[in-house]
Amino acid sequence: MKKFIYIFFLALTFSACEDVIDVDLDQGESQLVIDAFVTNDSTVQTIRLTKSADYFLNAPTPAATNAQVSIVGPNSLIYNFVSDQTGNYLYDPNTTGALDSIGYPYKLEVLYDGRTYTSISILNPVPTIDSISQSFEEEELGSEEGYYTQFWARDFPGREDFYWIKAFKNGKPIDTVDNSNLILSQDAAFSGNAADGFAFILPIRAAITNEEEPFEVGDESSVELLSLNAEVFEFLEQLTIQANNGGLFSTPPANIRSNIKDASGNSQDEVLGVFSMSAISRASETITAE
Amino acid sequence: MKKIQLLLPFLFISFLLQAQEKYTISGYVKSASTGEELIGATVAARAISVGTSANVYGFYSLTLEKGTYEITYSFIGYEEITKNIVLDDNKQLNVELAEQVNELEVVEIDGERDEANIKSVEMSVNKIDSKTIKKIPALLGEADVIKSVLLLPGVSTVGEGSTGFNVRGGGIDQNLVLLDEAPVYNSSHLFGFFSVFNPDAVKNVKLIKGGIAPEYGGRLSSILDIRMKEGNKKEFTGSGGVGAIFSRLSLEGPIKKDKASFLIAGRRSYADILARPFLNDNLSGSRFYFYDLTAKVNYEIDPKNRLFLSGYFGRDVFGSGFLFNWGNATGTARWNHIFNDKLFMNLTAFYSDYDYAFGVEGDGEDDFDWSSSIVSYSVKPDFSYYINNNNTLKFGGQSIYYNFKPAVAEFISDGQTNSLSLPEKFGIENGLYIQNERQIGSRISLLYGIRWSHFAFLGEGAKQVYRDTIPGIRKDLESSTEFDQNEVIADYNNFEPRLSIKYDVDEFSSVKASFNRMSQYLHLISNTVASTPVDLWLPTTNNLEPQIADQVAVGYFRNFSKNKYEASVELFAKDFQNQIDYIDNADIFFNEQLEGDLLSGDGRAFGIELFVKKRTGPLTGWVSYTLSRSERQVEGINRGDWYPTRFDRTHNLSVVGSYEYNPKWSFSANFVYSSGTPATFPTNRYEIQGVILPHNIDQARNNYRIPAYHRLDISATLTPQNREDKKIKGEWVFSVYNVYNRRNPFSIFFDQNENNPQVTEAIRFAVVGSFVPAVSYNFTF
Repeated sequence: MKKFIYIFFLALTFSACEDVIDVDLDQGESQLVIDAFVTNDSTVQTIRLTKSADYFLNAPTPAATNAQVSIVGPNSLIYNFVSDQTGNYLYDPNTTGALDSIGYPYKLEVLYDGRTYTSISILNPVPTIDSISQSFEEEELGSEEGYYTQFWARDFPGREDFYWIKAFKNGKPIDTVDNSNLILSQDAAFSGNAADGFAFILPIRAAITNEEEPFEVGDESSVELLSLNAEVFEFLEQLTIQANNGGLFSTPPANIRSNIKDASGNSQDEVLGVFSMSAISRASETITAE
Repeated sequence: MKKIQLLLPFLFISFLLQAQEKYTISGYVKSASTGEELIGATVAARAISVGTSANVYGFYSLTLEKGTYEITYSFIGYEEITKNIVLDDNKQLNVELAEQVNELEVVEIDGERDEANIKSVEMSVNKIDSKTIKKIPALLGEADVIKSVLLLPGVSTVGEGSTGFNVRGGGIDQNLVLLDEAPVYNSSHLFGFFSVFNPDAVKNVKLIKGGIAPEYGGRLSSILDIRMKEGNKKEFTGSGGVGAIFSRLSLEGPIKKDKASFLIAGRRSYADILARPFLNDNLSGSRFYFYDLTAKVNYEIDPKNRLFLSGYFGRDVFGSGFLFNWGNATGTARWNHIFNDKLFMNLTAFYSDYDYAFGVEGDGEDDFDWSSSIVSYSVKPDFSYYINNNNTLKFGGQSIYYNFKPAVAEFISDGQTNSLSLPEKFGIENGLYIQNERQIGSRISLLYGIRWSHFAFLGEGAKQVYRDTIPGIRKDLESSTEFDQNEVIADYNNFEPRLSIKYDVDEFSSVKASFNRMSQYLHLISNTVASTPVDLWLPTTNNLEPQIADQVAVGYFRNFSKNKYEASVELFAKDFQNQIDYIDNADIFFNEQLEGDLLSGDGRAFGIELFVKKRTGPLTGWVSYTLSRSERQVEGINRGDWYPTRFDRTHNLSVVGSYEYNPKWSFSANFVYSSGTPATFPTNRYEIQGVILPHNIDQARNNYRIPAYHRLDISATLTPQNREDKKIKGEWVFSVYNVYNRRNPFSIFFDQNENNPQVTEAIRFAVVGSFVPAVSYNFTF
């Protein structure tokens, strides 16, 4: 929500400016980073392990290759993720099957450098996307002329749900800068139990078009709707804030708490990252002339 | 504490015993040209070196032994009058002083009696009148009350364009901003670029940073007392201006000559009106403007009773498809009553409201609306009892009833409606005070007293109890108990002793010292660098304890060259308790369990302030320098160690000058320099889903400083010399803000490069990135 306010502020700042400057930063110790977003899809699932590095590294952070990564499912079934030696650990659902037991608390286990890290994430259900609608819009303050799409889906009533909406234009994410402006939804609205069981409310429903580069005839607009756990929703909200935390109304930079813990129970902040199980639903639509 | 309570009655009784045959002369001191009361005018029997000054309503009371006296009424900028008085009975005398004609000679900048700097027991106080505010070169040529206050010693800000100000290490919510005695909760237009006070309607501005008298309470760090003009009682006049941002018009005049008058002043921004012809049809639907309206009437019922009604209403509106507006409304009714020559009462009742709303321009099928407000109602009687020339007793009280509506929201999605709101909160704040200003011999003055303050967090509402956890982590709700309407959920009492002492070293200099304890029951919940219009005010609750601050200040005050120059050096030290901070990534925007995300800690601030002012002559202005430190310690932040506040500026220098070259031309300039504010920088990076995130492995807060801020502004005022008989007088103001085009950083933040996301950068964000020239035209008639 602050983003909207910020946009209006920017439109009004007659001479505000941003430029890159040199800053000397302290260097900190490196930590293990676990980037584990797993879905119920039957495509190959990837968990990425890296090490944190100096802030101004300006290159991909180093891979952590010698870990053992697995997820424990129903009936103690173990899904092994195999290292490809580039930091990615892969699981092909064609071997033991997809991780698709809705409502089950899956457990991540990572063995690295003599320590075990674990986390639990429930695979929550996801609504189907009924349709994607399109309409031609003329230029407005902060948005260009072109075709705008909206996705239509309805939140499950009677329960608290969290979602991550990924939007694509011709197969590429619509956020062309750094993909850090995530579209997140609690039930069908921003936060609170405001819109339980509703169709996703207007600003969220319409957030699948990049206002700076709307669709043209022939483009494909597609959407992925992912279910999340509350902690992961919070993690991603914080990620959006911390990755875009500049300007007049920035908040104090803060570390994001991981939902992955050292299995021995001590040292709170030893590992960075997040483990998320998501159910996914998809839809896409080709833009046609009105 | 106990001792002081026991001591007080004795002190008050002691002077009641010195009865002799004495009579009192009292009344009002006013301007002959406008009928405005002259706040602080001097009334003196010079032959016997006894005098007093008029209070904020222009009322004075002087008690002398039976006899014949020459009593002189004087006020800077006005011709003094001496009256021969045979004092054989209590007398009432209202006096009107004529403005001096030779304008060049009488330029003065604080509307203050000459020796006030050294003779008054007040310390840590700065006054500016509206003439001075209008002379200071300002952004886009818009004279601004709050921006002028920023040039005073001990005052800092997190940065350009941010709302509010910080006084002696206090947060922006620790300033009680009073417009005709009604508190203003958000003093900014356009997120902080301009303040809501129309300089055409402002009479004078007084900032109290220390030695705060018991008559004031409710905030920790300062009182910004803004008094509106009463309105001309003699003739109908007007003034106005056309500037780059606002156009302004104010009208004032008598309703009944010498008895009743009115003032009405309005401003509206017109960037949108100017832009409209250049926008296409779709863009013309977008709105961005702000306005304010200030109005006042006063009526002198009889010599003993006067009535004032004043109001303010202002609003900012922005939007295109998405609408957002916020604003304050205040209303004040005051009754001045003179019981007798010695007892003066002011009874104030006010209403103050701050609210904001936003939403989408829906079509019935899809809509989203949100609003939030804080409303307060108050009654405040204040009595001044002029016991004798050595003792002025003041006592009174205040009750404020608050109603907080943190959020009222409604969603319509695809025709389906759901409204949700956060529960309203209620509270009542009470205060009682008694103080005496006492002259002991010819050299010592004392102001002492005590304020009792009380706050009750009232139902209807819930008492939320949270589980303890590791500091810095969200606290979970343990229980929630519902309370009925007006049932007390939690309440607090505080005794606030206050003391100021002045000792005259010689005719030209004095030393002063003061102590004050302040308590505060309202908290602004804001974890952004600059406060936003959507920040919430919350009451003290069972979880959120009252903020408390103790301050000690000492100073040396000296005037030079027949009071032409004023100088002071002040040292202060302040200790804060129950300062609010936030857990990392706190959710403060819409959160029924907000208190689970709040932390509480201690604060401290100390510093030295140097101030030299040239009050009169063609060249006026001041130099202000502050060396200070402001810190917080909160468990759960910065590993529990002390850290500097976001508005901590080690060095803070302001140079303000104005030169009357001739009746046609005058020039002004100001220069500011302040150390960079602290900021939190990362040590590491890591990658999640392709997004590079900053990480600080030491969990440090404010571990770096951004570069220093400095800026020069200049202006020139051209007053065309019209024929004397022409009623409309105009002036052109040419100004340049940020003359040498410095990109002063507001903040430094870290982000990924747009073209190569693997490259991370430190980005300097400057709010005003270039020089800003402006022309405005002001007129009076």
